[in-house]
Amino acid sequence: MATALLSVRHLSKSFGALHVTQDVSFDVHAGEIVGVIGPNGAGKTTLFGLLAGNLAPTAGTVHFAGHDLTAAPAHERARAGIARTFQVPRPFGHMTVFENLKVAARFAGHLSDDEADAWVGRVLAMTGLQSHAGSLAGRLPLLLRKRHELARALAAKPRLMLVDEVAAGLTDQEVNQFIALIQSIRKSGVTILWIEHVMKTMLTATDRLVALHSGRLLAVGAPRDVIDLPEVRRVYLGA
Amino acid sequence: MNEDLYWIGIDIANGLLSGTMLGGYYAVISIGLALNFGVMRQVNLAHGDWLIVAAYLAVAFLGIANVSPFWTLAGVIPVMYGVGWLIQRVLLARVSVQAAERRGMAPSIGLMSPLLVTFGMSIVIGQGLLALFDANAQAIRNDLSYAAVRLGEDLSVSTLRLVFFVIAVAMLIAVQTFLNTTHAGRAIRAAADDPEVAALMGMHPARVHAVASGISLATAGVAGVMIGMSRSFQPFDGPTFLLVAFGVVILGGLGSMTGALVGGVILGITQVLSGTYFGPSAQLVGGYILILLVLAVKPQGLFSK
Repeated sequence: MATALLSVRHLSKSFGALHVTQDVSFDVHAGEIVGVIGPNGAGKTTLFGLLAGNLAPTAGTVHFAGHDLTAAPAHERARAGIARTFQVPRPFGHMTVFENLKVAARFAGHLSDDEADAWVGRVLAMTGLQSHAGSLAGRLPLLLRKRHELARALAAKPRLMLVDEVAAGLTDQEVNQFIALIQSIRKSGVTILWIEHVMKTMLTATDRLVALHSGRLLAVGAPRDVIDLPEVRRVYLGA
Repeated sequence: MNEDLYWIGIDIANGLLSGTMLGGYYAVISIGLALNFGVMRQVNLAHGDWLIVAAYLAVAFLGIANVSPFWTLAGVIPVMYGVGWLIQRVLLARVSVQAAERRGMAPSIGLMSPLLVTFGMSIVIGQGLLALFDANAQAIRNDLSYAAVRLGEDLSVSTLRLVFFVIAVAMLIAVQTFLNTTHAGRAIRAAADDPEVAALMGMHPARVHAVASGISLATAGVAGVMIGMSRSFQPFDGPTFLLVAFGVVILGGLGSMTGALVGGVILGITQVLSGTYFGPSAQLVGGYILILLVLAVKPQGLFSK
């Protein structure tokens, strides 16, 4: 098998006596959509923080595209090609949608001013935000904020996008639109690691699943296989 | 009776006019403090002292070349930018909120440390100026000090204040344009909005902060030259201007250049009208009463959302 795009080994994070992530190891290959599942408090968002560089691990390593990024700060990881979104969108509220995307394209995406303008135009079209380019990002309604969150991460020209829960609180139709959008982002060459609670979405939209429980890795594999595992069913359904 | 009304009108018109002019000057004094807090969440207690440093720097430049004091800005602005960039990069970045978080300390330590460090910096600057120059009051002589522009028989405005007001508006527009339209300006706004996300979008927080600190002190440079041209100054005058800057920030909020100008103008008008009606000693008191009222009624500032 080809070398993994993202390789996580024995990753651990403690806050004092609280072990939020413990000895987690898995790979993500280029072009995949890998889902991350687990009940509340399983350490999913902490894992994203450790991968994007918001948090420093207590132990373990993170390799990305053959480079050891374990000690790299967030801005270096962003420039290396890792982008992340937040479950509760965090736009630069006092900047327009266009400006939000443009700073991502210029700084993380290494684009020149003209290149960034052209690229942001394409991302706006792809995410259906063209007509909101001049709006202040902080004033967008929730659904558009979620789109904006994905659009800004895409504008950063990432190789790996960490997507933190987009489906929560949306109707089935809206969820389907987001699945289509994430799949089109994958088609454009971006690998996706995706946290989601909605199991149906995870089953249909991902290639593999990583299941976490109490900060530990429970299982990695094909979505159906992972969900059918007795320990995963026990954690999720209490069965 | 009619003549009484006329003079009341003239007093108010003069008060509004010179208060407005004073407001431009106050805006320039305060904008660096607002920028520091808005972007780095730092309260720079040495801000006033840096203004005085800039005034002395202008005196030093004038000692080398006998030119109009306005020309000293060409030297003072870049030097102050460099100083701002350097102190942020080598000193303040090490005691920032972000540095505290990196070391696993409570954010409150990150908020407290710069207060203590800049308080210390304020003392060092005052003593340093005393050692380099002396305790005698200095002033930057200029041709405009006693000139006035007459707008009517009994209505006039100080030429120097008018020039300062024009410079203030031009500078505020320039800073706002820089923040809105340039690569570095957008990064500063993004980092002010959400530093964690700014880093995730590839912005190097320490570099962004150094540029913001440079701009902050460059504006302090302009303010310092204005201070030197409009009054006499001594090494330990900094805290007086820090108070003015705090007042403007409280009135206008931290958000925008317009807020600084409006805050400055409100403070300026209040001071001048207090002075007109209650005597010169009421000038400062009037300003502080207004600040206290705003703090009591709307502590987040008049214009913050």
